[in-house]
This record gives sequence, C-alpha cells and structure tokens, in this order.
Amino acid sequence: MKHVFTILFLVCFSSVLSSQSITISGTVKDQALNEPLPGVNVFLKNTSNGTSTDFDGNYTISDIQKGDVLVFSYISFITKEITVGEQTNIQVLLQEDVSALDEVIVIGYGTQSKKELTGAVSIVRAETIEALNPTRVEQALQGQVAGVNITSESGSPGSGSNIRIRGISTNGDNRPLILVDGNPIEDLSVLNPGDIESINVLKDATAGIYGVRAANGVILITTKTGRKNSELKFAYDAFGGFQETSRRIPVLNATEYALLTNEAFAAGGQANPFPDVSRLDSGTDWQEQVFQRAPIINQNLTITGGTEKSTFSFGSSLLTQDGIVGGNGANFTRYTTRFNFNSDLLENLKLTANVLYTGSSERNLNEGGIGSVLFNSLNNAPTFSVRDQNGAFTLAEGLGNEVINPLAQLGNNFNTTKVNRISGKFGLNYGFWENFTVESSIQFNYSEGSNRTLTPTSFFGSGKVFNNPGRPALFENKDIFNDYTFDNFLTYDKRFGEDHNLKALFGMSVLINKGQFSGTTQGFFGTDVNFADVDMADAEETINGRILAGLSGKFDERLLSYFTRVQYDYKGKYLFSGVLRRDGSTKFGPNNRFGYFPSASVGWIASDENFLADNKIINFLKFRGSYGIIGNDRIRPNGFRGVLDGEGTYVFNDNLNFGRAVGVLPNNAIAWEEQKTLDIGLDMRLFNNKVDITADYFQKRTDGLLLQPPVSGILGASAPGTQPPFINSGIVDNTGFEFAIGYSTDFSEDVSFGINYNVTFLNNEVQTVNDGVGFLQGGAFGVGQDFPSRMEAGKPIGYFFGLETNGLFQNQGEVAGHATQANVGPGDLRFVDQNGDGLIDSDDRIDIGNPIPDVTMGFNLSFAYKNFDFGAYTFASVGNDIIRNYERNQPLVNRSVYTIDRWTGEGTSTTTPRVTTGATSNTLFSDFFVEDGSFVRIQNAQIGYTLPDTVMDKLGADKLRVYVSANNIYTFTKYRGYDPSASSGDAIGGGIDQGFYPVPRTYLLGVNFKF
Amino acid sequence: MIRKDNNISYMKNILFVLVSSIILLACSDDFVNVDSFDEGSENFFNTEEDYQSALSAAYDLLQSTYLNVMLGEIASDNTLAGGESATDSPGIQEIDDMVHFNVNQQLRDIWGWMYGGIYRTNYILEFQDKIDFAGKDVILAEARFLRAYYYFELVKWFGDVPLTVDKRIDFGEQNTIDRAPRSEVYAQMEQDLLVAVATLPTIPADVGRATKGAAQALLGKVYLYQDKFAEAAPVLEEVINSGTYDLLTDYSTMFENDNENNIESVFEVQYTDQEGAGFGCLQCSEGNVAVGFNGIRNYSGPLFDSGFSFNIPTQEVYDAFEPNDIRRETAILDINLWAATNTGVSFVEGFEHTGFYNRKYIARQGDANIGDANLTNPNNYRSIRFADVLLMAAEALNRGGISDDRAQTYLNRVRNRATLLNVDATGEALTQAIYQERRVELVGEGHRFFDLVRTGRAAQEIDGFQTGKHELFPIPLIEIELTGNRWTQNPGY
Repeated sequence: MKHVFTILFLVCFSSVLSSQSITISGTVKDQALNEPLPGVNVFLKNTSNGTSTDFDGNYTISDIQKGDVLVFSYISFITKEITVGEQTNIQVLLQEDVSALDEVIVIGYGTQSKKELTGAVSIVRAETIEALNPTRVEQALQGQVAGVNITSESGSPGSGSNIRIRGISTNGDNRPLILVDGNPIEDLSVLNPGDIESINVLKDATAGIYGVRAANGVILITTKTGRKNSELKFAYDAFGGFQETSRRIPVLNATEYALLTNEAFAAGGQANPFPDVSRLDSGTDWQEQVFQRAPIINQNLTITGGTEKSTFSFGSSLLTQDGIVGGNGANFTRYTTRFNFNSDLLENLKLTANVLYTGSSERNLNEGGIGSVLFNSLNNAPTFSVRDQNGAFTLAEGLGNEVINPLAQLGNNFNTTKVNRISGKFGLNYGFWENFTVESSIQFNYSEGSNRTLTPTSFFGSGKVFNNPGRPALFENKDIFNDYTFDNFLTYDKRFGEDHNLKALFGMSVLINKGQFSGTTQGFFGTDVNFADVDMADAEETINGRILAGLSGKFDERLLSYFTRVQYDYKGKYLFSGVLRRDGSTKFGPNNRFGYFPSASVGWIASDENFLADNKIINFLKFRGSYGIIGNDRIRPNGFRGVLDGEGTYVFNDNLNFGRAVGVLPNNAIAWEEQKTLDIGLDMRLFNNKVDITADYFQKRTDGLLLQPPVSGILGASAPGTQPPFINSGIVDNTGFEFAIGYSTDFSEDVSFGINYNVTFLNNEVQTVNDGVGFLQGGAFGVGQDFPSRMEAGKPIGYFFGLETNGLFQNQGEVAGHATQANVGPGDLRFVDQNGDGLIDSDDRIDIGNPIPDVTMGFNLSFAYKNFDFGAYTFASVGNDIIRNYERNQPLVNRSVYTIDRWTGEGTSTTTPRVTTGATSNTLFSDFFVEDGSFVRIQNAQIGYTLPDTVMDKLGADKLRVYVSANNIYTFTKYRGYDPSASSGDAIGGGIDQGFYPVPRTYLLGVNFKF
Repeated sequence: MIRKDNNISYMKNILFVLVSSIILLACSDDFVNVDSFDEGSENFFNTEEDYQSALSAAYDLLQSTYLNVMLGEIASDNTLAGGESATDSPGIQEIDDMVHFNVNQQLRDIWGWMYGGIYRTNYILEFQDKIDFAGKDVILAEARFLRAYYYFELVKWFGDVPLTVDKRIDFGEQNTIDRAPRSEVYAQMEQDLLVAVATLPTIPADVGRATKGAAQALLGKVYLYQDKFAEAAPVLEEVINSGTYDLLTDYSTMFENDNENNIESVFEVQYTDQEGAGFGCLQCSEGNVAVGFNGIRNYSGPLFDSGFSFNIPTQEVYDAFEPNDIRRETAILDINLWAATNTGVSFVEGFEHTGFYNRKYIARQGDANIGDANLTNPNNYRSIRFADVLLMAAEALNRGGISDDRAQTYLNRVRNRATLLNVDATGEALTQAIYQERRVELVGEGHRFFDLVRTGRAAQEIDGFQTGKHELFPIPLIEIELTGNRWTQNPGY
C-alpha cells in the first residue's frame, strides 16, 4: 500500500513537474536601434540554467517554471529581469548603459572615461546631430555645448560658419583646431553630418596636448565605425523640403518713397524729383522679387557590419540646396563618400583605415557687402519696374555708382566654386609586454579648389561700378592643398596594487602642410559667347596669373612636436593629469622657433568619499581644476622674412612690367601667441542619475597677440603690396562661467522626457595693445568714413567706436545752445560733446557697443510617447550689438520703413532724424546705427513617428521613422536687419551688417530607415 | 606547436623593433627649417634681372603721385574739390577750403606713398656694391633720379622731413630718426640729380624711363624752388638747347591717349588700362586714379567717360585765359556747351558743380575699362613738359636778373604756340607775365599751389590761406605718434 501511494505520489508529482516545465523563447533587441543583439546571456536567476542569443538575437531556454525570473545581461547594457507569466514568447528590449559614467570621450591621442576626466570637455553624439538635420556640422553644435558660440557668415547654401570656443582670444584667427579622426580639417562644409559618431570639444588646458595649436580650443570628431560580430546593416536617412527667407526688411513702397524723397530734396534746397505722386501705387517690392522658395534635399546611406575580427562602415551622401536668393543660381551640391575599416590582424595588432571623399560645387552670388544682391533690393527705388517696355531690366539711374537692379544682377551671375577633396588615415596599433601599446598612423588631406568668374559685357546704368563695357571676360584660378600628419606614440597602462592606476604617453607628431595658389588667369572673348560652357582655350586673349619671377604661390609649412602625458589616479578618486608638449614650427622666427607648453589638471571624486557614499540625492560629484600654457600658431608663414611678394608693377613701352618688392616687412623675433588658461569646474549627478549638472569657471589670458601695427610711413609700409611687420604685443582676457543642466527620465515605458539647458556668461577685455598708438582699427562703415571698430585696452575686442546721440534738435534755439556740429539744423541728430570742448568732432567718439554676446544659452527639449517623438532646440544670444550698414547714403535710394517716423517739425519725433539731401552729420557713424542684436531663435522643432515593430517584422526591417521638422522657425529679436546671428567672424570688424544673406527657414519631411 | 610559438615571438620582436625605431627615429629640429619658395629681401640682388625688377618696383610709386597732382590743383585757386557731396572724402574737401588739419587721409597717403618710393630706391642703393655688371650705373642713376623725385614731393608738401640715404629704415629705427632740415634734403636731391644727369642716356632704353633731359629738368626745377636762379637757368637751358625736345604744334593732341610720350614730354609718368584696380589699394592701381576722380559724374555721350566729378575748375580760371587762347578748350571742358553741341550727352551735377571739368585729365572712351573702370584709365601724367621747362627757364633768367631777353624768347615761344601775341615786358612786369603764363599753360597739372606758395602770392590768390601756416601741410598726427611723438608739427597746426 505504501508503495502504491509512493508511486502514485511520484507519478502525480512528476506529472505536475512535467506540466509546469515550459520553454521560453524570444528575441532580444537593442532598444535604441531596434537591432537584434547576439551573444546576450539568458539565464534562470540564481541557477546555472542558461543560454545565449544567436546571431539573430533569438534564444530558447527550457525547464522554466511559471513565476521564475529570467535574467538578460549583455556587456554595456542594463541587465533586465523578467518574471515568467503566461507568455512563452518573451521579446526583450535592452537599453544601452550609455548614461553610465563609463561613457568614453576622445581627448587626443587616446580616450578617457567621463568619470575620470579632469578637464572641461563636452561631447555631442550622433543621435543629437541627426535630430537637428544640419547641412553643416557647425549647425549641430549651436546651443548644444556651453562655451561654444557659432555665428554664420551668411545663410547662402555652402557658406561658412564661425566657431568660437570661450570667447574671442585673438584679433587674428580665432578658429579652433579641428581634427577628424586625427586629420586636420579647416572647412567643415566638406563633412557630411551623417558620418559623424561624436564631436568632442576640449575647452580648457586639456587641449594642451595639442600645444601651440590649442589656444582657440580643440574639436575632435570621430566618424562612424562598425561593430564586431554584427550582420550587414543599412541605414538610409533622407530629408527634403523647401526653404524660405526668415525675414524681410520693411522698406518704403513707391508712394511713400516718392513723398519722402520729395521732402528730402526740398529740405536740401533742390527740386522735387517726383512731381506727380498720385499716379504711383505701391511700385516694385524688390525683396519680393528677389526672395524665393528654394528646395533642399539631403540623402544619406550608411552600411555597417562586422566579423569577429574586423568592422567596417561605409557612408555616402548627396546634398543639393538652392538659395532663397537666386534659386538655382545659388545652388550648393555636395557629394561625399566614406569608408572606415578596422581589423585585428593579429591578437595584439590592430589596423585602422579610413578614406573620405567630398566633391562640392557652389554657385556664388555677390553677397554681403555694398553691391550685394540684397543690398540692391533694399536700396533700389521702388518706382522702377523690374523690366522696361522692351523687356530688358531697368537701369538704376541716379542712384549712385553701386546700386543696380538686383534681378539684372542675378541674371548676370555665372560664378562657380568647385572643391574636390580626399582625406584618409592608415594606422597600426600594437600591444606588447602586457602594458605597452605603440600606435603609428599617417593621415593625409588633398584638396583642389577652383573658382570661375564670368563677367559678361554689361551695362547697369551710367557710372555703375559693375558695368563691363569691354569684352566678356573669364577669370579662373585653382588652388591645391595637401597635408600629411604622422603620429607615433607609446602608451603605458598599468594598475599597481589595488589603488594606483598609471597611464603614461610619450609621442611625437609631424605635420607637413603644403599648397599652391595658381593666381588668376584672365581670358577675354569676342562678343558672342555661351557662358554655360565657355572655355579659357577659346579666349581671344589671355593674361596669365601673376606668375612673377620667383613669386611661386607655393607654401610649405612644418610642425614638429614631442609630447608626453601622465595620468594617475589613486583609488579612482583622486585624479591627476599632466602634459608637456614641445612644438616647433616653420612659421616662427629663428629666435623663437621652438616652445614648451605645459599643462596640468586635477580632480577629486567627492562622491566616492565616505561622507557622500550613502547620499540619496547626490549620486556623483566631482571637482576639477586645470591650468596650462598653450599657444596659437595661426599666423602667416615667414612672418620673420621679408619675402618679396609685394607689388612692384610699372609700365614700360606701354606694357606692364612686373618688378619685385618686399611684402610684409620682416621681424626676426616673431613668435606664437601664448595663452594661460585656468578652469575650475564640477560635475554632478543627482536623483538617481536623472539630473546632470556641469559648471565651469574659466579665465584665459592670451599674450603676444600678433599685430601688424600701423607703422610710420617712413618704413615704406604703404607701398603697394608692402605691409607693416608682425609683432607680438597685445593681451586679451576672456573670463566666464558655464553652466549646463540636464534632466531625463522615463515616466513609464511609453513616456520619456528630457530637457537640457546650458548658459555661458562671457566677459572679454583687451589688456594692452602695444603698437605705439594704443589701438587697432578695423571694419568699414559708410563710404569714406573712419573705421567703426577698435581693439583697445579696457574694452572688448572689436568694440564700436563712434559718436553718442542724445535725441534730436527740435528747433533752432536748441541748435544754437549746443556745441558746434557741422551742417546741422532742426530735426538732426544731436551728438554728445564728450570732451566738453564745444565742438563735435572725431574726438567725441566713445564706446557705443560691441558684437560679442554677454550671455549665450541653449535650451533643448525632447519628449517621447509610445511611437511618437518630439524635440525642440532653442538658442539665445544676449548682449551682442550689430552695426546697421546696409542703407546706402545717397539721395535717391529707397529707405527703411522706420523713416516714416522721421522728424517733420518740432516735437514730431525724438528718435528718427529728418530726411534731407543736404549735407548733415546724420550719416556719421553713431549709436543711431548700432542696434541690440540679442535674439532667441527656435532652431529646430521636430515630430517623428516610428512605425511599430509588428509592421517592421512584416517588412523584414529594423526601424522606419518618418518625421516633419522645421529649422530656424522663428527668431525673436528687436534687430531690424535680416539676421542677428550673422557676422563676418573678424575679431575687429565683426558684427557689421552690410546686408547679410539671412539664414533660411526650412520645412522638411524626412525618413530614417534601418534594415 | 613549438615552431608556431617561435614564429609568433619572432614576429613580435621584429614588429617591436620596427615600431620603436619609428618612434625613436626622431626628425631633427632642422625639419622645420624650410626655405620659402619666394626670395627674401636679404638674399636678393644676385643677378642683373634682380636689380632691374627692384628698379621697376621703385618706379611703381610714381603712379601714386596722382594724388599730389589732384590736390596741387584743389588746394589752389584753380579748382574746387567737387565730389558727390559735401562729405565725400572729407580730407579733400578740407584742403580745398584751407581748413585741413593734422588728421587727413590724403596727406597721410602722400606721406606714406612717397616714403614707399624712397624705401624702394634706398633698397637698390643699399645693395649697390653687391655685384657688378655692365649698365649697373644706369640702373643706380635711375634709382637716384626717383629718390630725388620722391623727396622733392615730400619737401614741397611737408617741409623738413626725415632723410635716409642708401639704406632702408629698419623696424625700430623710426623711433630715433629726426626731421632733417629742408636744405639738407634739397642738397641730397641736387647731388642725386647731378649723378643722374651725368649717367643717364638721352634716349631711354625703354619708353618711360628717366633720361638725362628729365634729370636736368627736375634739377632745374629743384633749383628754382630754392630761388637758386643762377644754378637753375643754365641746366634748364641745356635741355632747351639739346634739341631733343620741342613744343607740340597741335596743342589739342597733347593730352590724348594716342599721343603719349611725344616730343614735348620731358618726363611722363606711365599708366595703363591692362590691369584691374580696387578702392582697397589705390596706390596699387596701374591706371591713373586722378583721371577717374576728375571725370564727369554719371556721364553718357561721345568721347568721354564717367568719373567722380572732383577737381572742378572755377569760373575764375576759365576767365584767366586770354581770348583766342587755343589752350582753353584743351584744358577746360565746358560741359553745358559740350552737351548743347553734341547729341546724347547726359550727366549729373556733382557737388560744387561749376559747369567745367579738367579736360586734360578726365576719362575718355576707348580703354579696356577693366573693373573698377574709374580707377584704370590709362592717361599718362605729363610730369615735366617742354613748355614747363621753357617757362621755368624764363622765370629763372628774369627773376635772377640774368637775361630778360632770353626770358622773353622762351615765354613767347610758349605764347606763340598758343596763337597769342608776343610779350615785350621786362623786369617785374615780365615776371607777372611769366606767372600768368604758367597758370594758363599748366592748369590742371598740379603745379599751381606750389607756384603760388614759392612766389609768395598764395595769400592773395587763395581764399582762406593763412601766411605762416598754409605754405606747408601738416605732418599727419599719426606719423608723429608712430615715431615716438618727438617731432614738432609744422607751425600753425
């Protein structure tokens, strides 16, 4: 009987056992990329019952009971635990552990984890870059990184941007050093943003590993590589849409224009030019004629894959963008191809190779100055129709020598620039003796840039500077640049005992930078020539570029560097890093050819200390500080030699005779600009790593600014082509505070939210300008007037120097009672007599503004609900001033709408002077022309929808997302001009608006397709 | 297995040696010592071509004297500033009204450009002994001629000026150099021109180069300006009697572009239309910038071309011509008359419009008009004409009390060419007649202001002219500052 019970019991028991033992299967995928993950560990918790996912991410695990906990773990992904319920098919999404402090940052000749970083380095990753839909890389940095300010030179397709890291450090070239996979690059328009994996910005003395090139900051860009053991993956990203102008400047219509011009002529004692105003209506709106909707299409294909030992990534893109001014006549087209290959040749020997090709073609309009298309649209008279009765473009007669019919100008434009560029890298990395690694790589760039300018026979009106009454002419030139960088360095990485970590680096680097400027060849043609395909060989007569004897147009610059870096940490808590670099450059004089650049930084991870170990709020807290002496070598080569590249041309026997004369006068003591930079900062994570705070205080002093001071004329520096020597003599300080805070959280599995805010406060002050006069001048305002911008001790670089106004003179009595002003009457601007000498003249000029913003901010918002995602990026600049210089001072040109509020009698206005053609001082440079350019710009807003997995599985693809996006949606600003974010980028002379081509507003529809 | 291990460690070693030697194979520091592809100033002058090309560069600054020519008229009672409006080029407007002061862009340009020329001549003469070749002495003599020419301009405009000879001023030296008295500078000019006279050929190797006659004429002028009549007369008469030059019979062709470097031209500054120019570097232009500046504003019509309407002749100078003087219609264009007698003429009145234009040096049609067309007119500047030599000789002979007879002869040669009757005055009356003749013969050519100043007549002829101040122009304030603020300014400024 007992046996029967036992057997029954056992039978029951075993059947219970067998009925409850189930097999679970499913697929494990990467949550962000929706790609299957091979090699994921799947096991029953606290047992050895486990398996791993196969190449397609599928797994099957048996002998599981309902209620068991399955654990899914994979390196650098957050481990997930799932309790078995009714389902036997469990799909799992693993989240990459990116928010962990093991995030890797590129710091130059190596990487470091974010946790252990002792410097001020910011990083922008591929996801953020993609979300902003940039056509240029710089657009992806604006508002993302504290301390980085981007201004655009122009909104026209293919035009450049200026990147400034922590203020303006020099009156010379402020461009930071930019390396793409270790390869120096100057023109970021050749880079397809879709190829970028990360952008790492070194803002403080951490950049000191690059020694004499580091003073303006360093940007390290890495391009996408594949991942090992992954199958072939395709990603196709495309967007297309149209652009329109974000702003038109309101100008007078024909009736208003005629009335005001009549008034001006009457005030100047001349006869009315428009006796019959009643027959005019609104006339021609030139901006309406000139601005158009322009299409933009960008496509990007990336293919990645990897075997056990190697990875590869291939990318190709095609961008074509028309201009909102000029349409196809301002088109920019860029084609890029990239290939990255990494392989483990042997166990310790790794190979890296990549090559990047860009071909671009740009049609250039005359923009950004007196005589640009927009300048003409603002100034041309609305009383002219676009075409006359015969269908020809009307001539802008009577409007001075520069203003012409802008549509005639657009129709007459055949200028192109083409760039062909290839760059590459080949490197080997070998590990030996356990702790040593040696790495050797060669990087090269080769580019050809050519320009073609065609000047057909043309007549725009009498006396116009653009007229070409002569033969049609073709101007061509071609410049070739190539450079090679060899890097060799040895790294030692060892942990001593439990507490001491040491990493040492010793290396050398060689850079050869060569180029050839061909000079311009001119060709003249007979009257009939088809400009679409005209060739220099068909010219009637050619004049070769200035190939003067010995003036080769070639340059060859070298940089030889040795560097060492030591990184030490004790218990991962106390961090130290020290760098020393020795740089020698061809550019410097024989007395100062080599320099040493030391820097050091320290860090303390306070959150690892006992007193913070259990803190519930503070998850991570690090204090850090850095100090270094670094340099800027962006001066022209041979500054110490009197190269005979000046102009010495005379005429003998009625022909040009090219002589030789000195160019820049020599200075043997010339050296680099030296910068001492201090940074104190902290990094903090709070509330379960949901809140991320970074704050930095910095102070940079740049000494030995290379100035070409005005020198006495007796040195011969005013001769054609001759210039004053370069001397190291100025000092400028940049001090500021950066603060960045980010919050991201998942409210539930369906809802996630992230918000980011960063702000930079910047103060720029020049300390000394030792050039004998105490200041440098630059920029241009009006015609034949004094320079409006200065660099002077006690002021920011490039501040505006002009007269200060104090309302208007309302009547003759006020005029009489005030200091003497030339050519003044009631209704004119009243200037302040600063020195109290009773006379208003150039001695009464003072500081009336400066183009450097006091505060810049970025604010980014992202929100996701189920399959929808939303993002918005905003950027603000506060305190930057702009000089309004697009109004031509000429009696018959058109005027802006604000002139309707002009003074017409006592008390009618206190701000806008009267209109008159007589001589007045109203046109002198004063704060009447300086405006506050502060702005808040919604850079990008985007809504996307990712198709659900069920649809994806049917298609056999990984991810399909469609989105609508708008760039530069709206700019809140008081500035009257086209674009407050525009600047030439000059340190002295920046911030002067001569009719900047505005950054367009773009509406896009896009798709991200991964399969 | 064992073989495999050996291979692996062998390869490892090879690799290690290769790789570490790459690192240790450090480049020497000389790696960065790269010679420029373009020659430097200190290792030049190795061949005859080097001297020739440096000389061409020294000639280059002659083209920038367009400004001296323009302002020499505007400062005087011959012309008004003109331009687009009262505020067009304030420096020029102020000089016209005699209210100029020590901040003036045009004066700074003249100072800088003339010293640019001196720097380039001194560069050649600094290396004059480096090599030897046939014809070197001619090159050096041309350089001397040019140096004298540039110093003469500086002395005329600014008086006492720093003097450097046969050596460039290096960066740093400008803080110790002083203004040399005019007399020293004149003495150097005379020395340079005497060498030039002795060495230069009568017929130049290339059209445009300095010649013996040019050097003699300039020397005579230099003497005359110092009132050294006894020295001026003989050297000027040598030019007259040399037979190389003569008065052009058809005066109306004197200043046309198809009659450059003719028999009346003793020295001519050469210009061409073959190269473009821009406002960013006016001294670089190979064209005559003054011609564009003097031109008729927004002109369309026959023969002439547009310009900026500066340098406007006054009614007074128009009336200074005697009736029947054929020179007037060549020298001064009456635009209203021109418009009435030709079809299709239109123009715009500029500032201070008087109806007259400096016809000798305004833009004409027919040149290549390469951009900026206003800056690339090819009209040569007739710096020293035979008529000028005759009148200078007449003045020297008369005022020096040497020979009123010969003075009359030369004066009347000039008058006869203008179909005017002889003058038979002597003494003071003859002097006045010569002065009057100089005015109408040379109007528009940049001499009037200096003629008035050196003969003491400026205050009575020029409105606003203050004796004791305006004979010289102020040295630009910034030039004084940039040499260490040690110089005293010219009186009155």
